[in-house]
Amino acid sequence: MVVLPPFSALIEAHGDALLTHARRLAGPEQAEDVLQDALLRALRAYPRLRHADHLRAWLYRITTNAAMDAHRARRREVPAADPAASITVDPEQLDGFEDLITGLPDGVRATLRLRFVDDLEYDVIAIRLDCSPEAARQRVSSALRTLRQRSPAR
Amino acid sequence: MSPLPPHLLDALAAEAVRDGLADALYTYVPSPIGTLLVVSGANGIVRVGFEEEPEDRVLAGVVAGLGPRVLRADRELIGVRETLQAYLEGTREGELDLPFDLQLVHSPFRRTVLEILAGDVHRGDVIRYGELAARAGNPKAARAAGTACATNPIPIVVPCHRVLPSAGGVGNYGGGAPRKVQLLELEGALPPRLTPR
Repeated sequence: MVVLPPFSALIEAHGDALLTHARRLAGPEQAEDVLQDALLRALRAYPRLRHADHLRAWLYRITTNAAMDAHRARRREVPAADPAASITVDPEQLDGFEDLITGLPDGVRATLRLRFVDDLEYDVIAIRLDCSPEAARQRVSSALRTLRQRSPAR
Repeated sequence: MSPLPPHLLDALAAEAVRDGLADALYTYVPSPIGTLLVVSGANGIVRVGFEEEPEDRVLAGVVAGLGPRVLRADRELIGVRETLQAYLEGTREGELDLPFDLQLVHSPFRRTVLEILAGDVHRGDVIRYGELAARAGNPKAARAAGTACATNPIPIVVPCHRVLPSAGGVGNYGGGAPRKVQLLELEGALPPRLTPR
């Protein structure tokens, strides 16, 4: 049987970084709601996890999905569907993210994928993009700016 | 790394309870006998940890017994915190009377011992290990009654500090003998010492 850490330990270890992640994806006003939604989704799925590996990456993915759902809900100006329906534990299920970034320039999309789908740190992104880590950070933040400016809710 | 702001943790815990997504909640209770870690399941308190017990070890036991969805919930548990605090500070008269759940006690005999202790041995009273064993149905099991007390997951709420050895003295206590004395003094089972602590 898999031994999972108490959920509170995950929040203690990663909550702060997840809030920053939510802020980057959804903006400062939505960030707390997005994070709460994400943590509730994570709680729903948590007892069903079959191993305790990559929990940080798992939480990042769920937060990313919650941010995308919030973004879509705002865009459609209708309430989000039953959040339980969109729980995801499956790393492959990232259609929502592709939806969100569709139509953006290729380079911007690629940068966002490296950071938020592959969940890479800036020094690794730098290697992939063949630039300095500082430049990688700037590219990610400018890609996020592009994404936010496009969002009609902003 | 800094923790999430308390209002976020409180909101998450409230929502999780509403949706039935929490296996257990915990909070910290500062008191004259040190800061206690109090963990509550759906039916009441399942675990009380003294200050020197590491949080991760206490919570690991809770995860094993109740499940991994354990959340810090200061606001949800405010009633428990205030009741315990008032009791330990001596401003609350009468019994502690907090709901508890012996889910983390697996042995039936130990469970019976703790139930009897919580139900029959009131504030200000004490009992000997042998008498407690007898009331639990096995007069020869004084030692097992002692083990039940020594492994009591819910000290204070289930008052194992009220059980004394027949040889005299206050005997052992999971939280240390000085705490046992302090609790018995608070409850009037021992005369308070004249020198301030």
